[in-house]
Amino acid sequence: MLKLVVCIKQVPMVTELPWDEKTGTLRRDLAPGMMNPACKHALEAALQIKEKYSAHITVITMGPPTAKEVLYEALAMGADGTLLICDKILAGSDTYMTSWILAQAIRKHCANVDLILCGAFTADSETAQVGPQLAESLNLPAVAYVEKIEMNGRILRVRRIVDNFRETMEMECPALVTVSIENYLPRYVGLGGLQSAFGENQIQVIDATALGIAAADVKKQGSRTKVRRVFLRKTQKENEYFTGVAVNVVNEFLNKYERKISTVIGKSIEGKERTRGK
Amino acid sequence: MENKKKSIWVFGDYRNYYQNRVTLQLISKAMDLAKAIDAEVCALVFGHEIDEWIMEYTAHGADRILAIDDPALKSYSTEQYLAIMEALVKERDPEIILIGATDFGREFAPRLAKRLQTGLSADCVGLEITPEGLLVQIAPSFGGNMLAEIVTEHHRPQMATVRPGTFKEIPHDNSRKAQVERLPLMKGLPAPRVRLIEYERCAEKEHSIENAQVIVCGGRGMGNKNNFAKLHELARILGGGVGATRPVVYAGWADHDALVGQAGKHIKPKILFSFGISGAIQHTAGLGEADFIVAINKNPQATMMKMADVAMVADAGDVLNSLIKELKKRIRE
Amino acid sequence: MQFNPCMKHKLIRDSARHFAETELAPIAAEIDKNATFPVAVIEKMKKLNYFGLQAPKEFGGAALDSVSAAIVVEELSRVCAAVGLCVTVHNGVAVFPFLQFGNKEQNEKYLPRLARGEMIGAFSLTEANAGSDAGSVETTAVKEGGDYVLNGTKIFVTNGGVCDLALIFALTNTDRQQLQSSVFIVESSYEGFLRGELEDLCGMRANPVSSLFLENCRVPEENILGKLGMGMKIGMTTLDNGRIGVAAQALGIAQGAFEAAVKYAKERQQFKKPIASLQTIQNYIADMATEQAAARLLLYRACELKDAGQPYGCEAAMAKLYCSTVASKTTSLAVQIHGGYGYSKEYDVERYFRDAKVTEIYEGTSEIQRMVIARAVLAKLTL
Ligand SMILES: Cc1cc2nc3c(=O)[nH]c(=O)nc-3n(C[C@H](O)[C@H](O)[C@H](O)COP(=O)(O)OP(=O)(O)OC[C@H]3O[C@@H](n4cnc5c(N)ncnc54)[C@H](O)[C@@H]3O)c2cc1C
Ligand SMILES: Cc1cc2nc3c(=O)[nH]c(=O)nc-3n(C[C@H](O)[C@H](O)[C@H](O)COP(=O)(O)OP(=O)(O)OC[C@H]3O[C@@H](n4cnc5c(N)ncnc54)[C@H](O)[C@@H]3O)c2cc1C
Repeated sequence: MLKLVVCIKQVPMVTELPWDEKTGTLRRDLAPGMMNPACKHALEAALQIKEKYSAHITVITMGPPTAKEVLYEALAMGADGTLLICDKILAGSDTYMTSWILAQAIRKHCANVDLILCGAFTADSETAQVGPQLAESLNLPAVAYVEKIEMNGRILRVRRIVDNFRETMEMECPALVTVSIENYLPRYVGLGGLQSAFGENQIQVIDATALGIAAADVKKQGSRTKVRRVFLRKTQKENEYFTGVAVNVVNEFLNKYERKISTVIGKSIEGKERTRGK
Repeated sequence: MENKKKSIWVFGDYRNYYQNRVTLQLISKAMDLAKAIDAEVCALVFGHEIDEWIMEYTAHGADRILAIDDPALKSYSTEQYLAIMEALVKERDPEIILIGATDFGREFAPRLAKRLQTGLSADCVGLEITPEGLLVQIAPSFGGNMLAEIVTEHHRPQMATVRPGTFKEIPHDNSRKAQVERLPLMKGLPAPRVRLIEYERCAEKEHSIENAQVIVCGGRGMGNKNNFAKLHELARILGGGVGATRPVVYAGWADHDALVGQAGKHIKPKILFSFGISGAIQHTAGLGEADFIVAINKNPQATMMKMADVAMVADAGDVLNSLIKELKKRIRE
Repeated sequence: MQFNPCMKHKLIRDSARHFAETELAPIAAEIDKNATFPVAVIEKMKKLNYFGLQAPKEFGGAALDSVSAAIVVEELSRVCAAVGLCVTVHNGVAVFPFLQFGNKEQNEKYLPRLARGEMIGAFSLTEANAGSDAGSVETTAVKEGGDYVLNGTKIFVTNGGVCDLALIFALTNTDRQQLQSSVFIVESSYEGFLRGELEDLCGMRANPVSSLFLENCRVPEENILGKLGMGMKIGMTTLDNGRIGVAAQALGIAQGAFEAAVKYAKERQQFKKPIASLQTIQNYIADMATEQAAARLLLYRACELKDAGQPYGCEAAMAKLYCSTVASKTTSLAVQIHGGYGYSKEYDVERYFRDAKVTEIYEGTSEIQRMVIARAVLAKLTL
């Protein structure tokens, strides 16, 4: 039987969190949590693999005690085992640290894992880094932004669309994928499943010590990056008027906002005058 | 080490060169940063038959180019690039590595940072140098409403992926010179474990309006069904979707799916174009989460114009036609 | 009593809300307008245990506690009250009597099918001349061999148009001195079970509420629920439970209307500022919020008493009375806050407004609830 691990994260349910000017932190306490959407898609991918090839699914999350909630939800959806990594000394980890801790947990508790699935990115920090860094920590082959997974024995065939290319790739288990939200629409959570998740299961909770992580490790493996300051992006409306002949208005507008538009559409419209070399 | 000068590296991501100029933008920004810390700008190009990119990066400002041209590098490969970069970084010790936040960059950079045991911030929208010479990486968080200033204090290189379009490339200049180092592919690199079986470039597509980054909305001011239909062309160019007001839907110019407002879809684009729409509350109720609104209306007093970031007082059809024409010119295929 | 939802209750709410917002929100207005029962969505709900909220696991139910079940009904009704009605009637007054009164054979035969939604249930007490006065049922059941032959007309049967099984209240003794009613499990496939036309209702239009005709309908004797003559007892016990469901439904409607009103008040600009900044509107919002909070506590108290095995009839009646009153008031204010637009079918509050009213009527009118409450209060030895 295949052994799958799905890494999931609890994120705030709203995209706009109130900001506490005084303390300079986000008021996370005001927003209820939920399972990060891309992680839910990753879990769905795992569940479909389980249905097709038979597998045991362990879901892992690192977070505060309230993060148990997403594990219960995962159980209700069909996961088999859970692991909550919960310790104050791990709070505030960056992706470097998080991926290292997850790797420790997987080595210790899911030693013979065949496939690790992560959400491609999270709704609250959107770095998309933990999956690839976890692969690096465990020295596994990995593909990000996966939309489709097929297995042929121990060969994993995945499909994805990146940078306007549709790609099909293969790798051998053990491996890691990060799952995008394009496909694998998560199933609804059944009410009976929820009831059972709470009735029969105990969430396995482990702290840093149990993972063999000492304060010294935290320092050594600890976050590489430091957040100096967080601030609200200026969103004041300019309400700027352009008048005149359409062609001129359009050019005036494009010249002024070419950067902004390029950023959003992911293609450059800058530098009208530019020419190509050769 | 032959070269004591600090170096800022820019990873050459050339796969969508004509549509996505992020590498050129990063070279230009690296030139700024280099002044502050007295460094050189070095572009990396890995692949096969890559002279074109070497010339482009030279013409756009790189001081040095590290190029590895080998048939084995014909297609992009995270694993091979990782091995190569690891070897090069160990040998040359760059101060900063900048990588475009393309899909590829965002898969590759985290692994590289991890392997180099250094920090990385994702999808930056600003870069600065502190008086002490530290790189400040300004990255969006929480859906982009907040910006965080991130630094990597104790580890090197300092790494960031940068959102395409954040910086402006400098104009092409054929007279520029760079020191081009053509390196052989290192021996004994581990064979890649991920095999690319097939790939193809996908066609541009229109997106559904619920999750489109750009939405082009049209109202009665589009005049008729034919004019309205042209909005789709603009949407395709921008990789967005088309929305409509109720009268337009009832007139049959657009499907009911396109209705935006309290009775229709609630949209959250980064950029909204609003053509010939008055801005009735039933319509604007669906626009709550639009970031940046561009309204086109011949009546400057229309509510939609007052709530826009950019209000163009002009004929909607004319503006649409010019926009399509201009954008096609500027985005080169 | 817990004032903070536990993790399970939060997840139940999140899951039901996610389902309702994804599946029901896009069609709620349309199925209301066309009075259509959303068969495809109902099919999905069956697989997710919405038809076996409190039925035990061994019968395929979800075995939820009563607060969880109430939360589910709230969340469905918050988006689409008519579907909330279908679910609460099925679970609260069609499945529940089996759990309370059904014998082993009956439960084994019917509960699995009911709990999985393979059979949709209905509860059929009301007749033209037996409304609030449930004792005046005129439908008769006459014994013939091993069967009972039922004759009569039932009206206002929730789920009537689609039910596969109805609990029919009928007289098993018509002697005026010894009047006695019993409850029959009647499958829709039985000969002589006929459906009337769907009612053209003010609200809850997507629920196929209809009449049922029993024309020499033969029902085997073993389909008497509980025992012969237990009609009144089953009726009253079941309605106690049903009222929790209607209270939850009313509260869900109020919540939906309230959220719409608050959102609108923040968006709507008049006199160059959002109407939410006007004190009058703020007063409305404050009242609505407070009343809903109070209503919710009454509802969950009844649920907890029920699960603790204590008498809860009076508390269920209070919850039903208060929640439905709050629903009517809140939806009316929500329309008011929307002004003319709230009176248009383009806005959901118009539907909430129509849907809310009936929660003050069915499963015992507000007047009847007061009667139940007053009786309980007056019977108390200490107040
Ligand atoms: C209960 C109710 C619910 C409703 N729900 C919705 C809803 O969900 N969504 C919705 O969109 N509407 C809804 N409406 C309708 C809404 O009130 C408005 O009527 C509608 O949004 C107006 O659409 P419009 O802006 O396209 O048209 P108009 O209001 O007629 O505006 C046309 C605009 O185009 C400009 N114009 C005209 N010609 C040109 C030109 N050549 N070049 C440039 N500009 C030009 C005009 O100056 C004007 O500002 C609802 C209405 C009601 C009563
Ligand atoms: C949408 C809908 C769905 C329904 N679903 C079902 C169902 O599934 N199964 C079912 O059996 N029934 C159902 N009903 C029927 C519902 O339960 C009855 O309508 C309700 O019990 C009231 O009965 P009535 O309409 O005959 O009113 P009446 O009993 O005639 O009442 C008229 C008025 O007199 C008042 N009144 C009557 N008696 C008293 C009293 N003793 N003291 C004070 N006031 C009194 C009432 O409160 C009311 O104000 C449904 C009704 C509707 C509208």
